[in-house]
Amino acid sequence: MAGSTRSATNRAAAAATRFSAKLRGVSDASIAWIFIAPTILLLLAINIFPLLWTIYLSFTNFRANQPGRPVRWIGTRNYERLLGSEDIWGYLQATAHFVIWTMILQIALGFGLALLINRNFRGASFWTTIILIPMMLSPAVVGTFWTYIYQPQTGIFSYIIDFFAGTGALDMIGSVTLAPWSIIIVDTWMWTPYIMLLCLAGLRSIPDYLYEAAEIDRANALQKFWYITLPRVLPFLMLAVLFRGIENFKMFDLVVELTSGGPGSTTELASINLKREAFEKWRTGYSSAFAIILFVTIFGLGNIYVKVLNKVKS
Amino acid sequence: MAGAVLENVTKTFGETVAVENLSLAVGRKEFLVLLGPTGAGKTTTLRLLAGLEQPDSGKVHIAGEDVTAQPPAARDVAFVFQQYSLYPHYTVFENLAFPLRAPGRRLNADSIRRRVGEISEMLRIGHKLNDRVTQLSGGEMQRVSIGRALVRKPKLFLMDEPLSSLDAKLREDLRVELKRIQRDLEATIVYVTHDQLEAMTLADTIGILQEGRLVQADSPRIAYERPATIYAAQRLGSPQINLIEAGRLGLAGGPPAAATAGIRPEDLTVGAEIGAEAKIIAVEHRGDEAVALIEADGLRLHALLDAGVSMEPGSRTRVAVRAESAIWFDSGERLVGAGAPG
Repeated sequence: MAGSTRSATNRAAAAATRFSAKLRGVSDASIAWIFIAPTILLLLAINIFPLLWTIYLSFTNFRANQPGRPVRWIGTRNYERLLGSEDIWGYLQATAHFVIWTMILQIALGFGLALLINRNFRGASFWTTIILIPMMLSPAVVGTFWTYIYQPQTGIFSYIIDFFAGTGALDMIGSVTLAPWSIIIVDTWMWTPYIMLLCLAGLRSIPDYLYEAAEIDRANALQKFWYITLPRVLPFLMLAVLFRGIENFKMFDLVVELTSGGPGSTTELASINLKREAFEKWRTGYSSAFAIILFVTIFGLGNIYVKVLNKVKS
Repeated sequence: MAGAVLENVTKTFGETVAVENLSLAVGRKEFLVLLGPTGAGKTTTLRLLAGLEQPDSGKVHIAGEDVTAQPPAARDVAFVFQQYSLYPHYTVFENLAFPLRAPGRRLNADSIRRRVGEISEMLRIGHKLNDRVTQLSGGEMQRVSIGRALVRKPKLFLMDEPLSSLDAKLREDLRVELKRIQRDLEATIVYVTHDQLEAMTLADTIGILQEGRLVQADSPRIAYERPATIYAAQRLGSPQINLIEAGRLGLAGGPPAAATAGIRPEDLTVGAEIGAEAKIIAVEHRGDEAVALIEADGLRLHALLDAGVSMEPGSRTRVAVRAESAIWFDSGERLVGAGAPG
């Protein structure tokens, strides 16, 4: 038995020697290039090239539905028009309102839920699973059934609010003041579990002896939270906010299903407007410029945020 | 008045009995070291004293008061953990001041600064007060941990292998300092370790634990010279004590019940003119001395050699056993006599 194992090992070693003999003429650097080439090619084809092409298009009057039309270089005119437009600032404002409020609510609720679940009461893992369900649904499905929930006459949401607050029938989606909140509520319902999950990972990483040491030092609950829990969870929380923040800056599917940007354009977020300009009005050059502006904004904010995050981590 | 007393304390975790009917007293200003291998119940004993664990039965007294039902915060104890239990995002000063700012102990800013200053000087981290603890070395971090315990002047200090995560040099330095600080502060300390050298050098009393029971509690000297059981004898001394059946290698003349003789390595003379024939198997040089593994009368024995004696593995020699230094155990592995017969 030992003999056969040894001969198998020998054979494998011999095969390895033959293979390395074939590669002998190739330098380490070349081998490295061979390994990463497929990824680089893929990245160039589906990420870098489209980005560069979009940048080029943003300086032209190209329209994708009129491929025969001569493409004219118009310099920065698309950008000038975009940055001078009241409407664009309105869309960006709606986006910022959406991003900021969803983040505030989701952090508060997600962190709170994580603290509760982390108490390890009986059935904690069952409730964790239940809480995670919204996050696993398709945004299109969530958007569609929340339109039923929000339905002013027959929907349960309006009924419950009316029952407790006596507000009468609430038209969440149709009202100019309520519509921005309707999408914030749904996004919070759907994505709070995600923040909770990351916070929970942070909480689980805190060793018990830190709390025991604080206990002996007579720290109260607030001090334990402030000195131990918060600093340890903060990096996880900030990471969650980074992911969710970028996602919500680009929010499209859920809102299209719920309000389609209405009423009027109160919930027309940047990416919804972008899709309209690009694929309904076919102003390809103009919308490319808008896409680039959004890209630079997210990229810039993301970078600043990551710098802060790294500082917090160290 | 006793510093702290455990009275018939039992603690089980599920099926495992961590501490079994343990009674233990540590006097005021006494340095008690609990020694034993992993799983002997050392840490559990400490946590029972701290109130981090509740006993299944038995009582815990601190400074004459029954504290069995009290939570850790009410017991006025300090605990140094094996891992650095510091608040990583704060400075050394903040960490040291933390226990002084706890509710119910509010000192004013001046006395906090004075107290932190004293302790940090004592631990030689005074120049690091404004550094963040994450910038410190392991030794400095553990000093801060110890400092966090010292600032408070509690009734009882509990230390759970505080030096085990440090390198050898630092461990030695801090060991010496800890003993000095204990004397200066006249502190009552219960200290847990599996390192017999720490136990021998730090302790006023060594408590040897075996599977949750206290085997012996005596001064280091007595614990070394008159170990209560074979197990206790094996805990102290490096290399370990040699166990030889009574009657072999000329070991006769023990008390009537004696079944086994324990011979410390320093009580074997290798290279003697007289004695049993022996073969050197291996020699381990330690600088000031050397340890030889020898075989004589079919037994493998450890012997301590002077550094000057050169022995080649494989060579033949003679070994003389100092029978008058034998520690005698009966068939139940309990001590029946030690030192000169009679």
